[in-house]
Amino acid sequence: MFDLQENLLSWVIFLPIAGIGILLALEAAGRIFMSRRLSDRSWRVAGMGFALGNFGLSLMVWQRFDPIDGGLQLVERSAWIPDLGIQYYVGVDGISLFLVVMTGFLLPVTLLASWTDIASRVKQYVFFMLCLQTGMMGAFLSMNLFLFYLFWELMLIPMYFIIGIWGGPRRLYATLKFFIYTMAGSLLMLVGLLVIYYLNAQQFGFLNFDYIGYGGASGIIDTLIPTAGAPWWQTQFWLFLVFGLAFAVKVPMFPFHTWLPDAHVEAPTPGSAILAGVLLKFGTYGFIRFAMPLFPEAAVELSGLVFGLGVAGIIYGALVAMIQQDIKKLVAYSSVSHLGFVMIGLFAMNLQGLEGALLQMVNHGISTGALFILIGMIYERRHVREISEFGGLAKVMPVFATFFLIATFSSIGLPMLNGFVGEFLILLGTFAAAPWVAVLATTGVILSAVYMLWMYRRVFFGPLTNEANRGLLDLSAREKIVAVALTLPMFWIGIYPASFLRPMDAAVSELMRTMEQRGADIASHNGGQSALASLPAETPGRVSWLREPDASAEAAE
Amino acid sequence: MTAPDLDLGAVAPLCVVAVGAALMPLLDVLLGRTKTFLSRPVTAAWAGTVMSLATTGVLSIALVMCFDAAGAAPRTFNRDHPMILMDGMTSFLNIVILIGSLLTALASGKFLADLAINRGEYYALLLAAVLGMMLLVASTNLMMLFVGLELMSIPIYAMAGFRRDSLRSNESALKYFLVGSFASGILLYGTALIYGATGTLSLLEIGARFDVDDPVLLIGSGLLLVGLAFKIATVPFHQWAPDVYEGAPTLVSGLMATTVKVAAFGALLRVFQMAFGPIDDLLYPALWVMAVLTMTVGNVMAIIQQNTKRMLAYSSVAHTGYLLVGILVGTQVGISAVLFYLLAYTFMTLGAFGVVAVLAHAGRERERIADLAGLANSRIFLAAVMTICMVSLAGIPGTAGFMGKFYIFRAVVEQAIATESSSLLWLAVIGVLNSAISLVYYLRVPMVMFMREPEPGPEPDRSGTFEGLVLAVCAAAVILLGIWPEDLNLILTRVDVLHWASVASASP
Repeated sequence: MFDLQENLLSWVIFLPIAGIGILLALEAAGRIFMSRRLSDRSWRVAGMGFALGNFGLSLMVWQRFDPIDGGLQLVERSAWIPDLGIQYYVGVDGISLFLVVMTGFLLPVTLLASWTDIASRVKQYVFFMLCLQTGMMGAFLSMNLFLFYLFWELMLIPMYFIIGIWGGPRRLYATLKFFIYTMAGSLLMLVGLLVIYYLNAQQFGFLNFDYIGYGGASGIIDTLIPTAGAPWWQTQFWLFLVFGLAFAVKVPMFPFHTWLPDAHVEAPTPGSAILAGVLLKFGTYGFIRFAMPLFPEAAVELSGLVFGLGVAGIIYGALVAMIQQDIKKLVAYSSVSHLGFVMIGLFAMNLQGLEGALLQMVNHGISTGALFILIGMIYERRHVREISEFGGLAKVMPVFATFFLIATFSSIGLPMLNGFVGEFLILLGTFAAAPWVAVLATTGVILSAVYMLWMYRRVFFGPLTNEANRGLLDLSAREKIVAVALTLPMFWIGIYPASFLRPMDAAVSELMRTMEQRGADIASHNGGQSALASLPAETPGRVSWLREPDASAEAAE
Repeated sequence: MTAPDLDLGAVAPLCVVAVGAALMPLLDVLLGRTKTFLSRPVTAAWAGTVMSLATTGVLSIALVMCFDAAGAAPRTFNRDHPMILMDGMTSFLNIVILIGSLLTALASGKFLADLAINRGEYYALLLAAVLGMMLLVASTNLMMLFVGLELMSIPIYAMAGFRRDSLRSNESALKYFLVGSFASGILLYGTALIYGATGTLSLLEIGARFDVDDPVLLIGSGLLLVGLAFKIATVPFHQWAPDVYEGAPTLVSGLMATTVKVAAFGALLRVFQMAFGPIDDLLYPALWVMAVLTMTVGNVMAIIQQNTKRMLAYSSVAHTGYLLVGILVGTQVGISAVLFYLLAYTFMTLGAFGVVAVLAHAGRERERIADLAGLANSRIFLAAVMTICMVSLAGIPGTAGFMGKFYIFRAVVEQAIATESSSLLWLAVIGVLNSAISLVYYLRVPMVMFMREPEPGPEPDRSGTFEGLVLAVCAAAVILLGIWPEDLNLILTRVDVLHWASVASASP
């Protein structure tokens, strides 16, 4: 049961919360037997240890991952509430692999970055951060929809406290808004989930929450969800809207994004970094994992809407970011813009678009996470974030300015850095599916260069006007470690994306096959045409220089 | 005339509680006169603890008996005239009632001492009320139902006014008494009309002889339902709840919000399943509207409350709405969902009231939500328990509250798919939207506890050992039921509507 080889994914999920258990037990034992408390520092160090262990385990998942296999790997499944078809069922595939690795990576980095920043109620801070990690890992790895829903909602609670306790002046409003928006969206999904669950039970004769059937058995993904000829609430169209709403709030897609700037501005640095880095990914992950394969007909039917909202988000987010006075708010709005890219990439529904979107999810996690952490470093020194407060920082903090520049370029999508690969693939895929959308989205690339570089110039270049900035210290050794750790993957993905794209190939092809198959099933059920038939069967224009030839040959078939 | 065929074993748990209720005043007197046989008299605090432990002991014995009975075949007290039925559902509801009252009794010792109302009759009243509740959920006859209802209500009226020197406690008792007797009157009138129309008081006989076109019978049924609706506080019969819960001593409010409601729901379930089967179609729209109103009004009104107890009162109204949804579905799945929900609800609501009760300090209760400010700094244990209860009441996964809602909504959707009924699906949609509304006020409590600085004032007392134990049990149960509800499912499968049918064939 505790075998590291057999139960690797469970270790990944539960190590953080087990760490909490150990720390709480030590704390209690210390109070009772020695009447002393553990120091804040020991909680911090132990929390860091568990976070690093978690990262190590997630790397082990990557190392053991077989890139040729498009299905679930490292699967664990055991009965939980068998009467209702609820299993403890976890598995990883090419879609979730790098999200898991990125989640594992971001926790130790943010903990290290907030080492001195979060000085009050340290124990509670470590507690909530580790709980959050378990929730996020669990949601990425769950293959039983009930289990997924559990983790999906559970991770909101620690984030609620992280923003609410250590946040800025308007933190109470922001955290409540964050919680209610995301939870209200997903509550309707629960009803949709139950509808599919009973449709599945009707068709297969037993209650089952497993998403992908285990060992050849049927799963929720095999449910035939009608497009017509059933009560409206059983059709793909409405169910997609319900699922889509839950995910769109989380992405957040325009116009459901209003909670995001509030939450980001008020959240403490680690909260912002995790929120932008991981939590937002659950929206896009939900689309690619659940909403699109479950309701392919509706996804195609509504792709125009998604494209429209995606492009609106890209341009609106960029324009609003441009006029922000607060650096953090600027980055928050840039997230709206960048996630618009991910959304159009997903709904291009071809290999490049999907892989680009997946890669861009990871990229955005690292780049935006890095930006928030770097902003946190300057905020810790000056306790202001207004752009006008700064200017000429490059003179007093050259190292900081360098790392900030790299993160800025990564966010813009400069070649050789991670953002470029993702955006390029997305635009390539989108162009094949909907040229005009790609054209409009490209303006977002330009706009992002405008607002990011303009901000960078105002903060770092020019004369050192504000006296308060004159004595600022450059990065400490600890901060340098954080900055280097964040910069390395940016270069890695930018220079050699093949190591990330290869493991995705098989899974994404598998996903597209599933969607086509389900489209064909529903077409034969309706005795008519499937909207998916209009998708190109072969995906043209593979970008050979982005990947090694043997991998693309394997993935092609 | 032959001797009646009585099965005393069937009602053994009720007997235990009845004997306990009778002996408790005696124990009180004995504890007051310890001077005569002990070298020094016990202090009032000690006497209170002994009383509270004795009550807990009595309730534990009954609880163990009910656990034994839960797996057995259904039994009736008088085999010739089955007025008391001990089947799976009765046993389950008895278990819930006994757990709730047991936890209350255990926490009462220090609570009563803190408020300087440490008097022994409290425990006698408590046991009498528990006896009434157990009778209420076991009755299959309208007369027995009425007896159970009154036996439950009258001690609770007295307990609500137990702080004799407090104006609000008196107001609470009087209000509860007036509304309660009014409801009893309506219920009794309905019973009389039903008896007049059918010539029987047995629920099963009423069901068998139900003439859907008889206006007298329909009016009688309506009045019976209204009487019960008052007791469980559904909209529009809920207005008494906030005032009464606010004024009563906090633990008594907890008892009213949990076990009393459980018992009344048990009676409602019986009446629906046994007697009102023929008018399901007539009741459906009325109950649909009532459930939606109860959920929505409860949740919306709770948002604007500043007093924790009033907030919990409206929250309990809202939860009544979710429970009504389960009753409305009426399938086996729906009923077992209601039963599970009642158990989950008892733990989380008792935990919440328990925290407010522990904060009672030197005769003053800290009741405003603002009084909880900074509790996470001074009393992290209380804050943690309260947070767990609030999260569970809000229905966030990983807690009993979520599993309860999940069971209810799954029953709704199952029935909606089976019958292709959109109105049922809307009920599920309105239910989850209500859950979203409820987040606003449930989350405010942890927000105040964790994210606000405490107001200057005396530090809250440390919780006593037993209080702490009760709170820990509630919090642990909320989480365990949320993560491993499966063992409980085994009990629930024994709650079989079919058992009632077998009793029906046995009755003359």
